[in-house]
Amino acid sequence: MLQIIIQGRGGQGAQTAGNLLASTFFAQGRQVQSFASYGGARRGTAVSSYIRADDRPIRARCDIERADAILCFDSSLLDARLLGAAHPDTLIVVNSSREPGHFARAMPGYRVVPVDGIALARHYGLGRIVNSVLLGAFARALDAPPLDVLKRTVGEQAPALKRENVAACEGGYRSVEALLQRGAA
Amino acid sequence: MSDARQQRMLLTGNHAVAWAARLARPKVVPGYPITPQTPILEKLTEFHASGELDAELITPESEHSVMAACIPASLTGVRVFTATASQGLLLMHELLHYASGARAPIVMANVNRTPASPWGFWPDQTDSVAQRDTGWIQFYSESAQESLDTVIQAFRVAEAVLVPTMVNHDAFYVSHAVEPVEVPHQDVVDGFLPAYSPPHRIDPQNPESWGNVVTQEMYNRHRRDLGEALARVPEVALQADREWGALTGRSWGIVERYRCEGAATVIVTMGSMCGTVRDAVDALRQSGHAAGLLKIRLFRPLPVEALRAALVGVPDVVVLDRNYSPGHGGVLHQELRAALYGIDKAPRIHGLLAGVGGMNVSAERIADLVRETVVGAPRAESVWVK
Repeated sequence: MLQIIIQGRGGQGAQTAGNLLASTFFAQGRQVQSFASYGGARRGTAVSSYIRADDRPIRARCDIERADAILCFDSSLLDARLLGAAHPDTLIVVNSSREPGHFARAMPGYRVVPVDGIALARHYGLGRIVNSVLLGAFARALDAPPLDVLKRTVGEQAPALKRENVAACEGGYRSVEALLQRGAA
Repeated sequence: MSDARQQRMLLTGNHAVAWAARLARPKVVPGYPITPQTPILEKLTEFHASGELDAELITPESEHSVMAACIPASLTGVRVFTATASQGLLLMHELLHYASGARAPIVMANVNRTPASPWGFWPDQTDSVAQRDTGWIQFYSESAQESLDTVIQAFRVAEAVLVPTMVNHDAFYVSHAVEPVEVPHQDVVDGFLPAYSPPHRIDPQNPESWGNVVTQEMYNRHRRDLGEALARVPEVALQADREWGALTGRSWGIVERYRCEGAATVIVTMGSMCGTVRDAVDALRQSGHAAGLLKIRLFRPLPVEALRAALVGVPDVVVLDRNYSPGHGGVLHQELRAALYGIDKAPRIHGLLAGVGGMNVSAERIADLVRETVVGAPRAESVWVK
């Protein structure tokens, strides 16, 4: 079973991103479960979205305490509580303009892939709405789900600016691909 | 898999409930939004706006007024659905008694959430277990699919015995969890739920009245009638569940035994935690501990005979309560002890307050708790665990 945590702040779209990811795995024919835990749901407070994908029906109904991968919408959320769910093999994709080397020095023992979500979102005309970029980047870093299935889901479910969101998703994907080809992350 | 009779969709537990309500063709749907129930009401409103739900939607000023609208609507002889959570359910409390006394077979979904104070939005079943003496039938569901199936079955059961029925699922773990759900086609549900036609109804053309002042003897007889109706529920619910199984391939039982064969320890719980317990049971079995799960789906009436049959001769029972009755303990723990009292070969019953307030309870933790608990003697009180 693949277990993923998406961590964001209320209003950033972490819950939407979790449901988009679940929809994409579902479109591949996989079993999925996605839920967010946000208590008071105020703009700006931490929101955790949990996604499970498996080839068998998923029965567990609890938070993810050991994640295979974490997508973090804001590097200020990369704190001890979130890292408590990470182990040395956990992939961490974080929305940050910093270089991979920064995280290698600041967080030794963790595999952190930064993606400059804000710059890419602006480039694709989405302002500060980073979730399509981050999902594309995450899909490349995790090697799942496939880009074509993800782009189709984003295109179907984006409430507005569908073309821009699909392009941003692919842009995020390519940016991580370039990073990996440089051997930087 | 999807077939001609059902379609697989990706739905939250709340949207699965809204689909079930739509498919049951209620005529009146009073509602008041409250986190984490709101998506049920939002989806029903969408269905109504698009013409897919032909019902009168009423949005009174409080949950108390919602139930006050449900009761007379139901007594006119039409199907009525509503949904609430936590504070909303508690505000309805007075009228929950009235609804069962009036024998109004309303179906209500409740999303289990911590009651205030302090304020919270976490999964905890104290809100609905605290309504156990109101005369409502209560089901607890583990998944979006089960919630959909249970709401549809609830109309069948409620209308057969003329008792209102509550379908509960946990906040977030079920209410907001997106997962694959088989949504049956309308004709499947129409075949399962015949048009509702009660023997008595409020009808201006044929006047009858409800709620008159009665004598002690009449009141006493009325309460006994309600009790007799509830006593029929386990059999009626099983029959409805069997027929639903024949139509859809899914049945759930009123209790479910998971890997209880030869079990040294049976874990008893209800709601979403049952899913996590299944993983814990598999892990315990893998490590040589013969464990099983007894899931309670029908909590009111408590299916005492089924519980006794399932647990007689089991050495240890561990009850996981995601609710807390201050001064008393876990409600399921106490109810189970009462249900099994005096039988031969009664199990040792250990009560754990696990997940109260929405605390996370993982499969690994459940397995450890079971191992730690069964080595000791059972205690009279429920034990707090983390």
